[in-house]
Amino acid sequence: MKFVLNTGRTVPQGTSVEHKGSDTYRTVASAGFLNPIDMMLLGIEDGDRIRLTTPAGHIVLTSRPAEGVVRGEVFVAIGPYANHIISSETHGTGMPDFKSQSVDVEPTGEPVKSVGELMEAIGGLRF
Amino acid sequence: MIEHDVVCPFCGCLCDDLEIETEGGRIVKVQNGCALAESTFMNDVRLPAPIRRTETGWEDISYQEAIKETAEILQGADRPLLYGWSSTHGEAQSVGVHIAELIGAVIDNTSTVCHGPSILAIQEVGHPGCTLGQVKNRADVIIYWGCNPVEAHPRHMSRYTTYATGFFVPDAQRERTVIVVDTRRTDTAGIADEFVQIEHGGDYAVLSALRAIVRGKASVIPAKVAGVSKEQLIRIAEICKTAKFGAIFFGLGLTMSRGKYKNIRNAIELTDELNRYTKFVISPLRGHGNVYGSNEVFTWMTGYPFAVDFARGIAFYNPGETTAVDILRRGECDAALIVASDPGANFPRAAAAHLAKIPTIVIDPHVNATTALSRIHIPCTAAGIDAAGTAYRMDGVPIRLKKVIDRGYPDDAEILKKIYDHLNGGKGP
Repeated sequence: MKFVLNTGRTVPQGTSVEHKGSDTYRTVASAGFLNPIDMMLLGIEDGDRIRLTTPAGHIVLTSRPAEGVVRGEVFVAIGPYANHIISSETHGTGMPDFKSQSVDVEPTGEPVKSVGELMEAIGGLRF
Repeated sequence: MIEHDVVCPFCGCLCDDLEIETEGGRIVKVQNGCALAESTFMNDVRLPAPIRRTETGWEDISYQEAIKETAEILQGADRPLLYGWSSTHGEAQSVGVHIAELIGAVIDNTSTVCHGPSILAIQEVGHPGCTLGQVKNRADVIIYWGCNPVEAHPRHMSRYTTYATGFFVPDAQRERTVIVVDTRRTDTAGIADEFVQIEHGGDYAVLSALRAIVRGKASVIPAKVAGVSKEQLIRIAEICKTAKFGAIFFGLGLTMSRGKYKNIRNAIELTDELNRYTKFVISPLRGHGNVYGSNEVFTWMTGYPFAVDFARGIAFYNPGETTAVDILRRGECDAALIVASDPGANFPRAAAAHLAKIPTIVIDPHVNATTALSRIHIPCTAAGIDAAGTAYRMDGVPIRLKKVIDRGYPDDAEILKKIYDHLNGGKGP
């Protein structure tokens, strides 16, 4: 199903932002919040994995229901998970489309990667 | 020992009423702060010593060695990028600008991926703003547009708006009308008097509709604009026009969505329209503690607030070309110095990936995602915890960050001065 990826700050993301190697950060930054009706249409329940795909790549997240998220939107806390699939195009402004990236969402059984694994996928090395 | 009136350096609110209790050189209690402040002071885990990446892992190196190698990398680069700066004090930011000028680098700060578009709009049409003190004491209508202070600036509402008792607004909760405009029904929307839920990418259209209604042209507005009913738009325009003092705060919901800086320009022009009827102001909710300071320091020293390119020997500014994401996306820079920020986590993957291909040096108190992409990471003090310095609140008021404890780390301004010394044959900035 087609969705719009929206990102933003959350308190749990902010309180763990200086601990990006922690399980807490992985949990809060890799949660994909969806409208419960969209979750029903996707055939998934709270905690099931979803795979988000864009022309920039794909990422696996854990789905979470959120009444406040409108139909057709997936909300993810700002961070390396959302940024793994957001285009680096800035349309001449310096600012990527952090709140309006079009994504395909589908259920998956794949695991959620750690921040270290995401950085190693682009040539980094975990400390 | 209890230290009073401590400033929290986490977000642009720079709340300056914290009480921090220390015991044996450790922080043991934080009072008055939000959850973000408590985590900032209480869970402050640092990188113990400078590290360098090897073929197979990481090795500890001395500060002297790390500083020398950093200077050599920057000296040998054709197109260095100096990025970050928003979580440290102005003293470090100013040395960064000196280094950029000396070596002909591009220097950019984190506003490039937060309120950079707001600055572009302000450069086009100006900034009718005011201090948060004015809002607290006078504003009877508050609009939060595309922002969620409950999550991102948790004390903004209690210190300055919804719940703050003001001189001319003694019964804040009864006398202030709070309007929230967002695509999501956020926790902030939950406590609004009026919630305006707009469709994705509809901000520009809704702002234009409000401008038309304020101008007396409601007849041209269709029944719905980006999912918002005409009745609600007319009601909101009326609340704004009849306010004694209105304040719009906007966030990344405007700067990052379709239209980007044109959304902000439209919001500022709505504020302009409203000033024909009453007093209205508009200001961005700034994210990082001292991101506003990085714009101030860059502007004093170079004439430009971010994305400054010294390659020509003079300051050149062209967002979209000299902005960090674009330079990394194009694979243009051949070395990077990252100070007090984490582009590894906060930039799109294609831009962050270039940092791993070039020699990248991180100067930051904490291990972060960019550490994994770097060649050298040099730990330093954290401004507002174990280093004093100047930071700018989101309304442009400079506030002195306090040094609460000493953890034995060098100040990042001192590290940067030593790098400058190496680059300039021992002559400091």
